[in-house]
Amino acid sequence: MAVLEVNNIQKHFGKTEVLKGITFSLERGQVLAIIGSSGSGKTTLLRCLNFLETPDEGTISVDGKTLFDAADHKSLSDEVIRQNRLHFGLVFQNFNLFPQYTVLQNVTLAPSLLKTGTAEEIQSKALSLIEKVGLIEKKESYPCQLSGGQQQRVAIARALAMNPEILCFDEPTSALDPELTGEVLKVIKALKSGDSTMIVVTHEMEFAKNVADKVIFMADGVIEEFGTPEEVFDNPQSPKTKAFLAKSFEEI
Amino acid sequence: MTFLEVTSFLFDGFKISLLIFAVTLLCGAPLGLPIAFCSMSRFKPLRAVSRIIVWIVRGIPLMLQIFIIYYVPSLVFEWEIWKNLDLAFTTGRELSFAGRVFAVMIAFILNYACYFSEIYRGGIESISKGQYEAGYVLGLNKSQVFRKIVLKQVIQRIVPPMSNEIITLIKDTALANCIMVGEIIYKANILAAEDALIWPLFFSGAFYLLFVGLLTIVLGKIEKKLSYFRS
Ligand SMILES: Nc1ncnc2c1ncn2[C@@H]1O[C@H](COP(=O)(O)OP(=O)(O)O)[C@@H](O)[C@H]1O
Ligand SMILES: [Mg+2]
Repeated sequence: MAVLEVNNIQKHFGKTEVLKGITFSLERGQVLAIIGSSGSGKTTLLRCLNFLETPDEGTISVDGKTLFDAADHKSLSDEVIRQNRLHFGLVFQNFNLFPQYTVLQNVTLAPSLLKTGTAEEIQSKALSLIEKVGLIEKKESYPCQLSGGQQQRVAIARALAMNPEILCFDEPTSALDPELTGEVLKVIKALKSGDSTMIVVTHEMEFAKNVADKVIFMADGVIEEFGTPEEVFDNPQSPKTKAFLAKSFEEI
Repeated sequence: MTFLEVTSFLFDGFKISLLIFAVTLLCGAPLGLPIAFCSMSRFKPLRAVSRIIVWIVRGIPLMLQIFIIYYVPSLVFEWEIWKNLDLAFTTGRELSFAGRVFAVMIAFILNYACYFSEIYRGGIESISKGQYEAGYVLGLNKSQVFRKIVLKQVIQRIVPPMSNEIITLIKDTALANCIMVGEIIYKANILAAEDALIWPLFFSGAFYLLFVGLLTIVLGKIEKKLSYFRS
């Protein structure tokens, strides 16, 4: 059964329609890459999934349970929204680490406040996540002492500490110097195993091609193309996809 | 009068300056917080009222505000609150200025609370939306995000402007002189009038200087202590 079902999500800001009916589903453990030119609504879609924006239309279900239905979203209290967010994690383009906390504290903050386990459990889980992203020797550093790539890896560990069922990445390497993108992509790639479901908005075509199970190409608020990497990259159907891919690969 | 006698006489006045300073800081700093939240409220009428009050209080000389607090109750409402307080606290032959100190403190607290509220508001509004959102997507609620994520960053940012205001505050206490509160300048004027001594007036500056020096060191320490992170 699909872990995530998104049905007919629509969102507009003022008069601009940003999402014009997004529908897709995702199996547990799959990695979905979302590509598309800037302004096509990729960030807005991730923000809707994380309940930072409220869609005007549509439904969002996780594990068959409807978390959001625009038809009766007015009834969603702050507390319900907060609960819903626990199903998702979000790694931001510009990291948004908490500057006053060390690497370790960044990772343990939410689990400690939400009491996801005993203090020892939270601590040892955080340490193993920090180890996993390769920053154990930096665990007492503050974000301002880290490179962008390191900060993003901490942000990934921080998101993982809350055990989200679906982890979303919004262009995780776009704010990084080119020589630092590799280390972050490697970490994301290593997460692909078993039951961590991920949605990665990215401009790294090679990464999407090699790591993703499914690829969505978005244009102007609609899903222009959806399929396996082979289908989307090697045999695109839509002219918009072809044009976008031609342009992306020509830049490299 | 010997130097020591003058110093001790002036110091009696400076104690009143310090009292006004301490009470204003202890009451005005917390009071600024609700005013800041009102000024940022999503409820428009409340926000408007709050911002207009802040605009008026910051837009009028503090001396005038002291006069308003001091004279309006008796002139408009025939309520002699400050005079009655003066009398109530008088024990010897000399009239106490306790009531007038209260009036001054109220004016100072209102005035500084409004200044502080603007500093708080600036600090809170300077924190990026991303910090809040990073907290929310981790499942934290609004109060946790504010207390555990935003607050310390705000404090770090407001310490320098707060330091400026605090240093201005001790010097502003000299304004209490305008309704004859016995602070240090008032005392120095007594010496000028009654003993024909002018130098104590200038010497009183040394008290302020010393205290400002002390404040600068303490506030600088706090600022340094908070500089371990960069937001
Ligand atoms: N809060 C907002 N208010 C108004 N317009 C917005 C807002 N957020 C996004 N938009 C608009 O929505 C469109 C899609 O934005 P976004 O989802 O960020 O695209 P992408 O991430 O694909 O570049 C853009 O035209 C953007 O200007
Ligand atoms: Mg974007």
